[in-house]
Amino acid sequence: MPPYLKNLPGYVEAVRNIRETIIANIVFLGQIPAPTFHEKRRAVKFMDRLLENDVDECTTDGYQNPIGIIRGKQSDLPPILLVAHLDTTFPKDCDHNYTINENTIRGAGILDNSVGVGVLASMPAIFKHLDLTFKSDILLVGVIQSLGKGNQRGMRHLVKTWPTPIRGAICVEGVELGRLSYYSEGMIRCEITCQIFEEKGVEYRFKPNAILVLHEVINQIMAIRLPQKPRSRVIIGMIKGGRKHGIIAYDATLGLEIQSDSDKMVKTIFADIKDMVTGISHEFGVRMKMETISNATASRLRYNHPLVKAAGEIMEALDIHTVGEPSESELSILLSKNIPAVTLGLTHGEHYHQTDSQMAIDPLFRGIAQVIGVIQAIDSGVCDE
Amino acid sequence: MNKSWVASNTFHYSRFGDLAHLVRKKREKGLKISLCLPTLNEAKTIAKEIIIMKSELMTRHPLLDEIVVIDSGSTDDTVKIAESFDAKVYLADELLPEHGAYKGKGENLWKALYITTGDIIVYLDADIKNIHHRFCYGLVGPLLMYDHIKYTKAFYDRPIAIGKSKIRPTGGGRVTELVIRPLFSLFFPELTQILQPLSGEYAGYREVFEKIPFPIGYGVETSMILDICEKWGLDVIAQVDLERRIHRNQDTKALGRMSFVVIKTFLKRLENLGIMEMKKDIYDQMIQYQLVKNDITPDVVKMVGIERPPMASIPEYQEKFGQSAPNAT
Repeated sequence: MPPYLKNLPGYVEAVRNIRETIIANIVFLGQIPAPTFHEKRRAVKFMDRLLENDVDECTTDGYQNPIGIIRGKQSDLPPILLVAHLDTTFPKDCDHNYTINENTIRGAGILDNSVGVGVLASMPAIFKHLDLTFKSDILLVGVIQSLGKGNQRGMRHLVKTWPTPIRGAICVEGVELGRLSYYSEGMIRCEITCQIFEEKGVEYRFKPNAILVLHEVINQIMAIRLPQKPRSRVIIGMIKGGRKHGIIAYDATLGLEIQSDSDKMVKTIFADIKDMVTGISHEFGVRMKMETISNATASRLRYNHPLVKAAGEIMEALDIHTVGEPSESELSILLSKNIPAVTLGLTHGEHYHQTDSQMAIDPLFRGIAQVIGVIQAIDSGVCDE
Repeated sequence: MNKSWVASNTFHYSRFGDLAHLVRKKREKGLKISLCLPTLNEAKTIAKEIIIMKSELMTRHPLLDEIVVIDSGSTDDTVKIAESFDAKVYLADELLPEHGAYKGKGENLWKALYITTGDIIVYLDADIKNIHHRFCYGLVGPLLMYDHIKYTKAFYDRPIAIGKSKIRPTGGGRVTELVIRPLFSLFFPELTQILQPLSGEYAGYREVFEKIPFPIGYGVETSMILDICEKWGLDVIAQVDLERRIHRNQDTKALGRMSFVVIKTFLKRLENLGIMEMKKDIYDQMIQYQLVKNDITPDVVKMVGIERPPMASIPEYQEKFGQSAPNAT
């Protein structure tokens, strides 16, 4: 039996013993609003909590990603990276005060990704409590500007500028416990905006409606023949527009995501949709724009990569049912730079992106134990092939 | 009026942010500190208060020796939740049963004196949405750092939660501004320096709390200030800026009932101090009116101004603690 599997079940109870510390970190950090591009206060608090927990070094990189370093015993080994994104999708004026019940924590952004950030900030205390030390340095990084228009800027900067190789990485996400993400699909997330000309001198014989114009865009997207291989799809995720019930919509926006196993296919579909938009814009005489918000390249570890195998064994030892799924977040940046990495979920939850999103407390301790197990696996050399 | 009090006895919580230093002071003085959370249907907030205080002021910095929840008979999951996070939970009705049982925050605070073991007792309301350990160490700080201070009182900005996910930036404190501040201005102008006399967060030495009576309901904050001031003077009191406190908004009708009790407590103190003489007994009923369909109907709530005597006079307490707390300064 590999050494990292030996003590796993005992870790669950040991981590549970310091639940107040972990929950307090989740609450303190999660209650600070951190919409993308406005993560500074949360980043400062993250550093404070790391310092209060006696990490060996605390710093920020050139992009203001906060970084805590727990020094390992072998300075010649590359570090192990633990990363959680600091930003959330909720605006500053949204109530971020969390409600804790016997077995749940509820509030805006708890699942994506305050629980991940809180657990990262708790890691020094957890290691101390379990009396764990590592050969490699452990980097605890809360990356900024990950979501939406942030387009993983913090993560991109970190991997681009980090001065040493990285031995292996774990991306920590709130849900779902059991996810084992070791590949990411190619993806382009974009917005199509439509505006009806309101300038003087522009006369329409039949004034178009921005919402109906976008409806035509959707119809044409639906008619695209997408290949089964490489697997590809277009997700229409968001639409907004118009001003009043009784007035033709002068502006509308459509948000969509193109996903595929192949980066080439993503680009082809993107180009096809862009052509459609140009055509429709001429046909209806409206101003239309298609803008890329974020993108990710398709990259993966093999299913039988030692890191993936070790993570699967660790989850099995903890009685966690494993589900392989792609991740378009920090993982894709790491994998695209050939850094062995997986994304793990910490607990179960519901109402994922709503103000009343809710996480379960009890499964969290198994979720943390699995992260510790994977760190130990990386530290034992599973990524050193 | 002694205007220098507000300058010398007003602190910001950040002044006491060196928790290791506070713990050292506590140990030097050989003191124990208890946190008491009086509850009635606080299932939404109680867990967070317990977890944060335990994590920050017991595990990381051993400033608190115990957290005690005194419940007035919650019908929600308050008791179950508090127990699940290992707080000591007591039902007020079951404490000192031979002295009867009343419903009210003051009753819980009074009985907490019997059940807690600390030389310093910190009372925090259990409905604080943005609870932070500063609410506790900010109040304890002046008590540990300044020997002449025996009682600390919180003040703060008071945003109030409206609806499910919005916060209004200002508000609250209506009973303070419309009732208690005018009364203080009329009779005890020096007490107007206490910015939020009705705040539900305060701390003090046992030797102070055990020697004053406790009204069982809302009047407890008013009576506490008046009684401490009368017995020991204003200088033993300090106020601490805790910055922001988010709490549930109460409707005007509820605040009316609160004001009724506060005024009644105040009048009783005026009479006791010989400042005012009542020619006849005042009434025990707050009468409010409501429009039901086309009828205006009275909504009568009886609020008898019961007060608990100083805890030091209770035989069971004397048996447990002696005539005074062991380490009282």
